[in-house]
Amino acid sequence: MASHISTAPDHRPTFQESASQLIARGRTSAPASPARLWIVVLSAVTLVGVVGVAGRLAGGFADRSAWGYYAAVVSFLLSTAGAAPMVSIAPTLARASWVRPVTRVSQLFAAVGVVTALLYIPLVFALPPLVEDGVRRRSIWFGAPSLTPHLWGTISVLGLVFIGLALLWSSSIPDLKAVAETATGLRRRIAGRLSMGFIGTDTQWKALRMRIGVLGAFYFLFLVFTHIVFSADFAVALVAGWKDAIFPMYHAMTSLQSGLASTIVAAYFIRRFGRLERYIELDQFWAMSKLLFATSLLWFYFFFSAFIVFWYGRTGSDQAVIDILIGGPYRWAFIATFLLSFVIPLFSLMWNPVRHSIKGPTIIGSLILTGMLIDRIRIYAAAWSAEGINDRYLRFVPATHWPDPWDVFVIVGAIGAAALAFLLATRLVPAVSLWEIQYMRLLTRPVRFLKGHAFIIAKPD
Amino acid sequence: MQQHRELTERQINTQLLNGALATPAWWKWAVIGLGLIVLAGFSTFGYMVNRGLGVTGLGRPVFWGVFITTFVFWVGISHAGIMISAILRLTQAEWRRPVTRAAELLTVFSLITALTFPVIHAGRPWRIIYWILPYDFSRGVWPNVRSPLIWDPAAIGTYLTGSTLFLYVALLPDLGNLRDRTTGFKHGLYTLLALGWRGNSRQWRLQTTAGILLSALMLPIFVSVHSIVSWDFAVTPAVEGWHSTIFAPYFVIGAVHSGVSAVVTMMALMRWLWKWDNFIRPEHFDALARLLIVVGTAWFAFTLVEILYSLYSLEGQELAFRDMQIFQWPWALLFVIFLITAFFIPVPAWLFKRVRNSIPLMFWTSISVNIGMWLERFLIIVPALSRKQPFVYVWGSYHPSLVELTLILWSLAFVGMNMLLFARFFPLIPLFEQKESQAFSSRVQIGRASVPAVLREREQE
Amino acid sequence: MARKSILGLYETPDAGANALDGLHAAGVEAHETEVMTGTPYPEGAFGEHVPQHRLFRFPAFGALFGFTLALLYTAGTQLAWPLVTGGKPILAVPAMLIILYEFTMLNAVIFTVVGIIFESRLPNLFTKAPYDRRISEGMVGVVVSCEENRAAEVEAVLRRAGALEIKSA
Repeated sequence: MASHISTAPDHRPTFQESASQLIARGRTSAPASPARLWIVVLSAVTLVGVVGVAGRLAGGFADRSAWGYYAAVVSFLLSTAGAAPMVSIAPTLARASWVRPVTRVSQLFAAVGVVTALLYIPLVFALPPLVEDGVRRRSIWFGAPSLTPHLWGTISVLGLVFIGLALLWSSSIPDLKAVAETATGLRRRIAGRLSMGFIGTDTQWKALRMRIGVLGAFYFLFLVFTHIVFSADFAVALVAGWKDAIFPMYHAMTSLQSGLASTIVAAYFIRRFGRLERYIELDQFWAMSKLLFATSLLWFYFFFSAFIVFWYGRTGSDQAVIDILIGGPYRWAFIATFLLSFVIPLFSLMWNPVRHSIKGPTIIGSLILTGMLIDRIRIYAAAWSAEGINDRYLRFVPATHWPDPWDVFVIVGAIGAAALAFLLATRLVPAVSLWEIQYMRLLTRPVRFLKGHAFIIAKPD
Repeated sequence: MQQHRELTERQINTQLLNGALATPAWWKWAVIGLGLIVLAGFSTFGYMVNRGLGVTGLGRPVFWGVFITTFVFWVGISHAGIMISAILRLTQAEWRRPVTRAAELLTVFSLITALTFPVIHAGRPWRIIYWILPYDFSRGVWPNVRSPLIWDPAAIGTYLTGSTLFLYVALLPDLGNLRDRTTGFKHGLYTLLALGWRGNSRQWRLQTTAGILLSALMLPIFVSVHSIVSWDFAVTPAVEGWHSTIFAPYFVIGAVHSGVSAVVTMMALMRWLWKWDNFIRPEHFDALARLLIVVGTAWFAFTLVEILYSLYSLEGQELAFRDMQIFQWPWALLFVIFLITAFFIPVPAWLFKRVRNSIPLMFWTSISVNIGMWLERFLIIVPALSRKQPFVYVWGSYHPSLVELTLILWSLAFVGMNMLLFARFFPLIPLFEQKESQAFSSRVQIGRASVPAVLREREQE
Repeated sequence: MARKSILGLYETPDAGANALDGLHAAGVEAHETEVMTGTPYPEGAFGEHVPQHRLFRFPAFGALFGFTLALLYTAGTQLAWPLVTGGKPILAVPAMLIILYEFTMLNAVIFTVVGIIFESRLPNLFTKAPYDRRISEGMVGVVVSCEENRAAEVEAVLRRAGALEIKSA
């Protein structure tokens, strides 16, 4: 059968072209001037967030409801930037070649983990201990020491950030070596140090790929662990009678949707402002949009699996959970999330012309990110404003807790800080992985099959 | 991993049609043996209808026993077909090819078998039509669409119809092949079934499109079916251990675990019985085992989360039920056997390449999984009903009778016999998939290495 | 003038592709040729006309039909017997959603299959177009539909490309 296959013209960038376009001085992310301007703007926005955090801290920890939006923001960052690296991990484990141009884009979100970790610190102090006034509230930690949720939450968040940064660093080593060879000044020194003497021997490549595989697997496990712990301790345990086994999975699953959306949006901007159209192509957006469609369906599946059990069961606690989270004071948030995270993605991404475009998935991704923020506000603002933490079930559904100016500052500032961290990371690490592009070029090539056109994809064992 | 052997199309036809065009010597005896068990099963059912449900072990408060357990079990087995056929088709996994039709067939016969169990369980099955069919038989009584017992036939009927049609559409090219290889009555039958298949570009293009489109449509159905079956239990607040939001994805992942294991069992038997060593190779078992490691581990994680959240609310009734299910005789023994057979034997074994590539070991570990998964459903249903709290005046124990055990055996024989009957007339391995696999496979020279490769068409817009 | 269908049978895909080239050079239109194989080759592999289809309309229509049917069924039965069960409203939307979903998907699948069969131009049991059973054993069949006065020219082109056998109907 191989006799029917012949070579076809290959218009993809050559090795040399890729190296010069992706690694050349000042081209790690975008032309210098716009990037500097954005750094200034985002720094200013971050400062607004710092002011917001300071204002929130000044209010103390006595009023738990004041920290609801803050908790929502931390959850939002965990659920978007925290999950984005999975876009590089899962398809790579499945040996999908389409993902290679965007693996670095998704891994760069690990840099945002630093912002998440910093924002998490005040939240630890805001979380009430398990035992208050001699009464122990329900939690997944049962009889463990009172500060258990704080300990495990911290371990999970910091661990996730650490592993994410390790993954970003490991996968960047070959490119950092290339940066060190072409850059000057501080960038050269930092890249040189971080490349750890990599010269591309067979042993080094094998070790690199093994490290990436192991770190990827650990990242996934830690991501699931973090979502279980964070959602259980910072949301479920604060609402009396809210017993919801699927909620950690819902939290994790929706974060995969948002992580994917984050990667799509970031890929769009990197492609556009980095002039990397020859690397991040339509194929990447098409493949990611199919995954986005699937995760949007799963959003509804995980939501409905919980909802139908509560709705049908109609016990006191079931009714209370539906009231506080869906049909009561946060109905507006639920409707918005339902539309942004499910209805609009479903009815737009089901059409191939929308999936098979670059702007389509980007716009839908942006809507999903907005829906995710509102969803986390719905859950955490509601949970942190619930009273009677030790009751059998929720007796009084609290009124809507609207954000105050500090909350708005924190939300805006956190998003700005996340974007700033991402942008700063691209100043050092190439936003599109040179070695992955070159590897993809080795393994795939356009061919002719008889009179038709096709691609041949090598599958090394 | 790729142990490919080139065969001509004629050789593929001869080897894969050896079951349909010629009867192997063992086939007759196998069908007679299984047919006798099936006959015994039907007789037992007749005896039960005549004598009443008292001949079973069912009684207050355990009104759902082995029949419902086996119903859920067979619905679970049916999830193999779409998992392998649809998901692997959409992800373009080459190793799915020899497995797809047999898996789809297993789905169809498993669903038919599953549907018989609620009918058997009803005791007087003719009365079911009064509350299933949308007709006002008497006194204005219509089906109660709010009941999960109505959702079940809707879901299973949809899945069965979809799977059957999917199977038929994918069978068309092979029916054309059979038409070309036969004469007389068989030729007439295959001509009719093949609908005039010619194998022109239009028909092949639509086969490819159909495969993708139907896979995309069947996947959401596949997820919904076992979720809806799980809601038979989960929506009920009255039974401890049932009212949990995680049941839907927990049941689905468990179904995939048991279904894919059943496919492994079936593949081993197919290779042995029809001497299909060229087509069902150790690499296929290796790939399935890797999939099962992921699925099995995810299932185990869901099991732990389900138990964790069951205990979460620290309600006395729930704690007492779990204590009975896990620590008291005879449930404790069954619980240990369930964990060992469903997870602790097979999954660690599959971590070893030697086990994954050993067909006898894969056969026995897959059987172990299904023993464990049957026990899992039994342990969810029966102990919970044994000490159901409200609305009963007695706690009872339950012992399946000979009638029930005979009907379990009947179900195994029924599925096996139908598979053998199908294999007598139609090929269990899709011929065109094997031929396409050869047409699309190649090798690529990367330096001095010759690497196996596959051809991919340029994606259609 | 009457039309004739001529089948040329080739041993290899290359010969089949060359036959098609020869036919196009001789002025035979793409829609007048048909390539038949026992294996699905990549589209355009023989240089043949890639057929367009409208399959995607079928599941869309089927889904709409199924949704409507399910809405009538669930709403109709609940309103026909308006009995409150378990404290749920008479028109219990979450419960209806499940049946709406299943009926929608069922009919989408059924209409898709109907569409596949229809778009494949099946059933085609009484066709007079020539066919050879060796096509499902690996041979490539090239069928040309032409006017009778061109039949000899077409046969010559097919023979020059290395046809093992020529059949006509």
